[in-house]
Amino acid sequence: MIESKRRRRVIANIATYFVLATLSMFCIGPMIWMFLTSLKYEADIVTQTMQYIPRRVTFDNYVAIWTQSGFPRLIANSLVVTFLTVTICVATGTLAAYAFSRFAFRGRTQLMLGYLIVRMFPAVMMIIPLYVVMRGVGLVDSRFGLALAYTSFLLPLFVWMLKGFFDSAPKELESAARIDGSTRLGAMVRIVMPLARNGLVASSVFIAIAAWNEFLFALMLTTGQGSRTWPVGLQLMVGEFQLPWGVLAAGGILSILPVIVLFAIVQRTMVQGLTAGAIKG
Amino acid sequence: MRALGELSETRYWMYLLLLPSLVMILLVIAYPTLYGMAISFREMRLTRPGLGGWVGFKHYAAMWSDPVFWIALKNTVVWVTAAVVLELALGLLAATALNRDLPGTKIFAVLILLPYFLPNVVAGHMWALLLDPRLGVINDLLVRAGVLQTYKAWFADPNTALAATVLVEAWHGFPFFALLLLAGLKSIPEDLYKAAAVDGAGVSAQLRLITLPMLKTVIAAAVILRVIGLVNSPDLLLILTGGGPGDATQVLSLYAFQTAYKEFNFGYASALSVVMFVILMIFATAYIRLSRITKGDGDD
Repeated sequence: MIESKRRRRVIANIATYFVLATLSMFCIGPMIWMFLTSLKYEADIVTQTMQYIPRRVTFDNYVAIWTQSGFPRLIANSLVVTFLTVTICVATGTLAAYAFSRFAFRGRTQLMLGYLIVRMFPAVMMIIPLYVVMRGVGLVDSRFGLALAYTSFLLPLFVWMLKGFFDSAPKELESAARIDGSTRLGAMVRIVMPLARNGLVASSVFIAIAAWNEFLFALMLTTGQGSRTWPVGLQLMVGEFQLPWGVLAAGGILSILPVIVLFAIVQRTMVQGLTAGAIKG
Repeated sequence: MRALGELSETRYWMYLLLLPSLVMILLVIAYPTLYGMAISFREMRLTRPGLGGWVGFKHYAAMWSDPVFWIALKNTVVWVTAAVVLELALGLLAATALNRDLPGTKIFAVLILLPYFLPNVVAGHMWALLLDPRLGVINDLLVRAGVLQTYKAWFADPNTALAATVLVEAWHGFPFFALLLLAGLKSIPEDLYKAAAVDGAGVSAQLRLITLPMLKTVIAAAVILRVIGLVNSPDLLLILTGGGPGDATQVLSLYAFQTAYKEFNFGYASALSVVMFVILMIFATAYIRLSRITKGDGDD
């Protein structure tokens, strides 16, 4: 009886590892292939018999995308837009998340739902009027304008995610500080913010990754080199120059490198906030 | 600072905290949304600035007799349903396996979640390379395995284009389901299963009587969020197929986008996206109500 139970457990464990290994391969296999492609000479990509492991390795593709396609400019634009987006979200969203987490007031639930419903608006429905409005005030093709547009769908996410982190910071310490004569503002800045620091970082990284990756708004709201971000640049290169696959793969690897690094660093905290925010919503 | 501190003691403090974000949201969302709805009742073509003015329901009437709209509507339903079902199945499989907490599952969890954080642009081109009719490694593997005779142009064949894009979308989106379902599974108390085992419930009975009912809310939330995301975002299809071949992969969001961006017909594009928005709202309301009813506690 015990013997068969143990055997069943071993079989279940083997099955679990098999499922996990297969799914992991499905998930990162394409990325590994892209990486291998980025290291191949063009002649080794376009061959009669497929080279699974590159026979010779080159970094020419990386040099090419960096020096010949205006890629540094695209990356710089993306960095600026991402930085501006995160700044706006942190500056305004932190205060809102704190208010939602700590105060009961009239209209609180409705307002929080309102922040959530905003996420249901079709991107196209937002982009067209945003384009018209921004053309009117001269913000089309500006990095600040793009950051403002990103705020439309990232700020609500940020508020919901951060509220979850504020909720889990114990209220007692805050009350203690208030008894010791601290103001509400003082208690928030000195006690609650440090407690929710990891959550603040994770939420900001999530927003940063989303802004760094965004494609549709950037495609529509940028028209020239001045503010074009890397996803748009990469997409346009495919059409215009018939870029060889190796160079394109190198561009892809370079662009997702920051995402992978950031995700790896704050992965655990970010996943917590994301699930809490999504499920409660 | 001191004045702010004093201000924070007043009863208006929370409203002051909310003000900055509220202003932002009204500015970048509420105003454009209302403006967008207004555009859908107007003639607005960037290529012909002379045209203008209110046209009432003209765009909505035009939609009724526009064959591409109906194809796009049908494709949207097929595409979103197929993708969500596949993602839910894969996500459930991944979450169940990860929930067993064997040594090493943390590393697997990171690997499995990663695709969700990759941009559509890279995901699209990566899969275009994998499925390429000349250089694609997947074609090579399938030919070697004897499944295919020759390499296949998956995205160029109207019979396989939609399925191929669903595969890419599933790769990109299933980690989201895995993430939420795993959180749901972790919140089920172990005692429930122990009690069920004592009462003689087998594995399938436990799944049917404990796991699925406990996961119902999470599944509902995940499905709604994903459906909204998929209906609204044309990114992946724009990159992979541009709606082609023919209209085989044309969906509503992409059609609206192309109407705006290629033809600069903002009025019609706005009308298309308003219709999309209304359909989504009806779906979300109905779905929330249904998933509450099936919960069986009749609290509605």
